Amino acid sequence: MATPVLRVENIVKRFVTGSASITAVDHVSFTVAQGEVLAIIGPSGCGKSTLFNVIGGLAGSDEGRVIVEGRTLSGPDPAIGMVFQEESTFPWRTVADNVAFPLEVAGVARTERLKRVHHYLELVGLKGFEQHHPAQLSGGMRQRVAIARTLAFGPKVLLMDEPFAALDEQTRLLLGDKVLQIQQALAQTTLLITHSIAEAVQLSDRVLVMTYRPGRVKRIVDIKLPRPRTAEIIGSKDFGLYVAEIWNDLRDEASLGMKDAEAKLPQAE
Amino acid sequence: MSGRPLAEAKWLPATLGLGGLASALALAELLIRLDWVSRFIVPLPSEVLVSFERIIVEEDVLSRFLATAGEALAAAFLVTLIGVALGVFLHRHRLLRSACESWVAGLAAAPLVLLYPLFLVIFGRNALTIVMIGFVSGLPPAILKTVEGLSGTRKVLLDVGRSFSLSPAQLFWKIQFPSALPVIFVGVRLGLMFSLINIVGVEFLINFGGLGQIVNELAERYDLAGMYAAICFVILVSVCFFFASERLERWLLRAS
Amino acid sequence: MAAEGLMISRVALLRLAIIASTLLFWEALAESGLLFRDVVPSLFKIAHALGHLGANADFYANLSATAVEVGVSLAIGGSVGVAVGLLLGGSRLMGRAFEPYIHYLGPTPKIIFFPVMIMWFGIGPGSKIAMGAISCFFPVALITAAGMRQIDQVLIRVGRSFRASTWQMVTKIYFPALRHPLLNGLRLGFGVSVIGVLLAETKLSNRGLGFMVMQSYSQFDMPGMYALLLVVFSLAIMVNSLVSQLGGLEVPNH
Repeated sequence: MATPVLRVENIVKRFVTGSASITAVDHVSFTVAQGEVLAIIGPSGCGKSTLFNVIGGLAGSDEGRVIVEGRTLSGPDPAIGMVFQEESTFPWRTVADNVAFPLEVAGVARTERLKRVHHYLELVGLKGFEQHHPAQLSGGMRQRVAIARTLAFGPKVLLMDEPFAALDEQTRLLLGDKVLQIQQALAQTTLLITHSIAEAVQLSDRVLVMTYRPGRVKRIVDIKLPRPRTAEIIGSKDFGLYVAEIWNDLRDEASLGMKDAEAKLPQAE
Repeated sequence: MSGRPLAEAKWLPATLGLGGLASALALAELLIRLDWVSRFIVPLPSEVLVSFERIIVEEDVLSRFLATAGEALAAAFLVTLIGVALGVFLHRHRLLRSACESWVAGLAAAPLVLLYPLFLVIFGRNALTIVMIGFVSGLPPAILKTVEGLSGTRKVLLDVGRSFSLSPAQLFWKIQFPSALPVIFVGVRLGLMFSLINIVGVEFLINFGGLGQIVNELAERYDLAGMYAAICFVILVSVCFFFASERLERWLLRAS
Repeated sequence: MAAEGLMISRVALLRLAIIASTLLFWEALAESGLLFRDVVPSLFKIAHALGHLGANADFYANLSATAVEVGVSLAIGGSVGVAVGLLLGGSRLMGRAFEPYIHYLGPTPKIIFFPVMIMWFGIGPGSKIAMGAISCFFPVALITAAGMRQIDQVLIRVGRSFRASTWQMVTKIYFPALRHPLLNGLRLGFGVSVIGVLLAETKLSNRGLGFMVMQSYSQFDMPGMYALLLVVFSLAIMVNSLVSQLGGLEVPNH
């Protein structure tokens, strides 16, 4: 395996509520190699989103470091491009202007900007929609705009937090194909955070399974499915075996989470 | 339930509305002609219709309209500039906002137009008094909606900006402000409505300036048909203004 | 919790500071004599005028005259507004036929109808009540109609499925479901009917708070005018927030 582009070292993140302190992320370490896709999977409440914010630099951590190509990051950094779970396109900008946004902010010249916008819109399959506003597009198309916007900035690492969470099953599969295609074309180092086992197996080279509260690394599974892949892979026997294997790891954690949620509900006598 | 398909027909509601209006006018015409209603209290609708031309030619409605429009424009400029600026200021200073937002909301509920005798003393009986009344009455909604819009910006949009390492000023001008614009526009539009209403009202009350004054003058001259026609004209102007601002808002918001 | 408490006390402190510095600035301006005499009267003069107002039987007579006019106008304009709103909101056809007129007539300056109202109802309280009633009719009708349309259709189907009579439907389903819009209509209706009545009083009358404001204007009694305006604004804001709290409504925000 090539040298790691992203190195996450011993991240610890605690939250203080009143007098109690809850450890959300507990000494999480891993690396992602050049051109690799690593998926982080865990039950809801395992601190996935906290980890996303820490690695992206939107939140600080209590311990640990995030290193990209040997450089320790502090705060948001152009080396890491974030794609968010929620609808995040700017409704007041056209598709092209959305993609141009980070370039505009960085002061990239207009001709260069137009060139890159054109390139990345073509890559995500939205050529011809430059002058549309996000409200005129479907949810899947809007998420592609968000991905193109992040890629246009040329990040070393693409960091995505459940990017397909708001979409329906079929759109999710097709968009997964698209992401695979783009990732292979750019050899884009990618870190994908998800709660969907199928999505993790479909898209990634390795899957990191997290424990439920405090969030620790439980296991890392190598996905030795052939590349290039398409959504067809979900029909294969190996795919099923990987899903079953990961579910085996995840089941206990998920049921812990469910018990916790039920315990919080007020109950009648 | 049998009414439903009828109600779906496009022409029916409009016809019913216009028909209702026309028959109410016809009924008034009839009652007055039969002397059941005194024509010294209510003029014949047909007379009012005829006086429209007289009003427009003799009373120089166009220049009156321009006078009112000028006052409204000045007030609109002040409301937009100062209202939005104050809203931004309140939003950026959290403590100040917690202290003052409910005061502004209180002012929005107060009959501010009653300040006009005070303004007469301060500014004199001139256009400035009228503009200031328009400004003061339009200010609270512009401030309140600006604050509301700015604090309603979705967190993820700000996160996108932060992930691209935007400076605080860039975050504000490139993300927060444009995302708040639709709500800010609603506030400015509300403010302008209040401004226009009160500007015409005060013109009438202090007998000075544009359209409001015509109504007062004709009433004092006891020109009944003319007065009704002038009232209709004022109503027409404000309906047009309201309609146009509504359309403009829809057009501006079509993207989001 | 501690941080919250700290925040609240800091807000209270800031409010006090703002009020104190405004008053100080005002007083300094009054003493400086930079502006025309009494445009900015001394706080002591205003306080004196407030005290005078409180001890003045005339003031209470005028206050109650205005209160009665507002109350009656609210009763008339409000009940007609609710009736029309129910009709327009309840029938798709009626709503689409007539609501646009009310929608577009709503934000027009009502005070210009005053000369007509004088001819119809005389120069006494009648014309002021009419002004208040016209003013409050529009927001009440529009809010009631919108409220009717927003009633969850399931509630109506539930009522029908239990074979509720029309009267039972109105009292047990429609009115409880319309509680918020009705109170909100009352709040907005009160605000505009106060404006309608007071403005009419300033134009032509011999009693009421609007008349008193004009009296102080014509006598150039600036402290008296400030005192009156303070009282009128405080009363209006108080009634508004009282109605809001009554219905557990959101803080008024249009």
